Amino acid sequence: MANTVLELKNISKSFGKKKVINNLSLEVKEGEIYGFLGPNGSGKTTTIKMILRLIDNDSGEIKVNGYDNKKQFEKAMECIGAIVENPDMYRYMSGLDNLKLHAKIRNVGMQRINEVLDLVELKDRAKEKVGKYSLGMKQRLGLALTLLHKPKVLILDEPTNGLDPAGIKKLRDILKEIAHKEGVAVFVSSHILTEMQLMCDKVAVIDNGNVVKIEEITKTESTIEKLEIAVKNVEKAIKILKEKFNIESKIEENKNIVVTIEVEKVPVVVKELAINDVEIKSVIPKEHTIEEIFFDATEGGKNE
Amino acid sequence: MSKIFILFMNENTKTWKKFSTKLVIIIAILALFGALGLAKVVEYINSRYDSTFTTDNFKESTELEMKNLKETLEDPQISESEKEINKIQIEMCELELKYDASRYDESYWKGEILSRISELKILKEDEAQIANLISIIEQDDYSKYMDIKKQEEKQKLENEEITKEEYEDNIFILDLKAQNNIGKNKNEGYWRNALISQIQLCKRSLRAGIDYNSAQQKLLSSERRQELEDTIKINVYRLQNDIPPVDYAEENYRMFFETLAQMFTIAVIAIFAIMLAGGAISNEISTGTIKFWALTPNKRWKILTAKILSILYYLVVITLIISILTIVTANIFFNNNGIEYLYVKDGNVEKIGNVLYTIETYFAKLIPIVLFVLFALMLSTITRNTAAAVSFGIATYMGNGIVMTIINNYIKKDWIRFVPFNNLNIVEKIFPNIENPMQIMGESFATDTSLWFSLAVLGVCAILMLVTMYDSFNNRDIV
Repeated sequence: MANTVLELKNISKSFGKKKVINNLSLEVKEGEIYGFLGPNGSGKTTTIKMILRLIDNDSGEIKVNGYDNKKQFEKAMECIGAIVENPDMYRYMSGLDNLKLHAKIRNVGMQRINEVLDLVELKDRAKEKVGKYSLGMKQRLGLALTLLHKPKVLILDEPTNGLDPAGIKKLRDILKEIAHKEGVAVFVSSHILTEMQLMCDKVAVIDNGNVVKIEEITKTESTIEKLEIAVKNVEKAIKILKEKFNIESKIEENKNIVVTIEVEKVPVVVKELAINDVEIKSVIPKEHTIEEIFFDATEGGKNE
Repeated sequence: MSKIFILFMNENTKTWKKFSTKLVIIIAILALFGALGLAKVVEYINSRYDSTFTTDNFKESTELEMKNLKETLEDPQISESEKEINKIQIEMCELELKYDASRYDESYWKGEILSRISELKILKEDEAQIANLISIIEQDDYSKYMDIKKQEEKQKLENEEITKEEYEDNIFILDLKAQNNIGKNKNEGYWRNALISQIQLCKRSLRAGIDYNSAQQKLLSSERRQELEDTIKINVYRLQNDIPPVDYAEENYRMFFETLAQMFTIAVIAIFAIMLAGGAISNEISTGTIKFWALTPNKRWKILTAKILSILYYLVVITLIISILTIVTANIFFNNNGIEYLYVKDGNVEKIGNVLYTIETYFAKLIPIVLFVLFALMLSTITRNTAAAVSFGIATYMGNGIVMTIINNYIKKDWIRFVPFNNLNIVEKIFPNIENPMQIMGESFATDTSLWFSLAVLGVCAILMLVTMYDSFNNRDIV
């Protein structure tokens, strides 16, 4: 059983009269990539800032690796590496100089600096000024900064913002490596759902300051597959499905058919449709996605 | 403590890596050389056109005067009584040419005698006295003239024209003149006479108990009384040892350079420090780099302390560099001594050498700047707006002198001395007997408080600002 390294208990926070966070509780365990989802303005960044004491919570308790982040601030912060909002570095200094500044405070040597530079693949450009870096490089340098002292908890606020697909993949690989190999708990906030899907082991959905859903994302192969089938003659296809396989099908807005069947039945169904002259345009497996979790849970779903 | 030290070292690295830091050091050095250039240009101009007033060329004007006067004698429109006076003037002109002294130049003793003779002639006093005076000139006997003057003072005392104290003071000054041969030689520098008249003014102030030196002529405080007595002692020392004061050292371009260099570079350093302080917190918040530090296991007060220490450290380092550079430059380009500051300790006049004095004044000037730095830092922490903090800080630094002079003119209450801006003239209080032209210009009327009083007011002010900024930085959210 993995240890809980980040624990939030009944956190509340108001800005003026507006309640931003309402009785929020969650736990993050070692080696886990924990997604923190929510629409804009739902309180993701506020929560992260409260964990880091950039903002003080009105009530509730935050424990990092067992240390209360108010009473034992310095000890708690020693366990945390974090990037909030943007990876902000001194633009007039080189990446290496920025790392060195941090290394002094974290009391680590040149060897560790080289290690993290290798990890984020920035070694050959470390001596350039940060002002000349691309956003992706800045993100990676930011990550290097937070990893210097081997934190137990890594907190990232919107780490994929502004990254290109290659950059996102690189970031994802790095995060997976440190979480699953080194046992670091990674707490990632984002509103990009597909990204979370690929990355996280567990997600919490937050809306209007409330945690509305916490769900594990199972990566195991399921026996039941959801298929989205695009065909020319919809009625005929539905009829065949109903008669031959006794499957209830739904029609989407775009006139595609959505069916839920066992995985081994898929080739048979497709073959049967083809034999009966149903012109199949495409067959797409529809995964049980985070998107559904998200829209089910948040107001965004209700409005639609 | 070690954590603060690491943060402090980091702050220094950051400051040093900034382009603006290097720029400011370059500008400060340029200002230094600007002052050098200015001093050299003035030296050159003055060596070409002898601008100092001398009496060597009085003969020309005397001859011209004589010619004009002679023409008036033949003019029928002029009355007889006027002609009478003109005749006396002609006689005086002849005497001037004969004895090679202008009667308008009373700093030279023969000139003084001639001026007295002309007075006596116009008043038609007895010829014997005039003859006596002329004989003194002919004998070229300076000390005899001094004796005569002393006797006259005694006469005045007996006639009860002057009081006993006044008599003693006058005799003191006459003795001083006689001992140091002041006015014995022509064109020996006006500073000696200026010092003498300053002594006279001080003596007069001390006698009356009223400060004639200041524009308001206030009653003398005990500190001011002490200061005047010290001034007299120092002036006597200067006369005896032939050390001209700063503001009369017209030929001493090294002093000119040193004063100028200090004015220029201190302004540059002050503005730099205020800029650094004004952006210290707000810049980091606006660029987000404050998180760089706030996310490390360091409490916020440590971060702020490191910042303050770093700015002060830079202030001290740059000032030290500049003050040493000033001395070195002065030594290379000028071959005489610079300012040697005189002060009174236990009733004796002591001297601070030029090197020490230069460094000391630079650092004394740093004390008020530290206050403005804290002020800018406080604004930066509270407003979180670099533009506001820097502009307001610099405006206060530049404008406080003028504004306070105006305010002090209108508010004549005792509490005005508690206003911190009235206590910024630390340098004048540490070195009370230097009369720097700039200090006279910026003289405020509420300055006669002691050094410790000023330091206490500034200290309280600094503590208040520190408390405010720590409170704000520790407890406000970094959003």
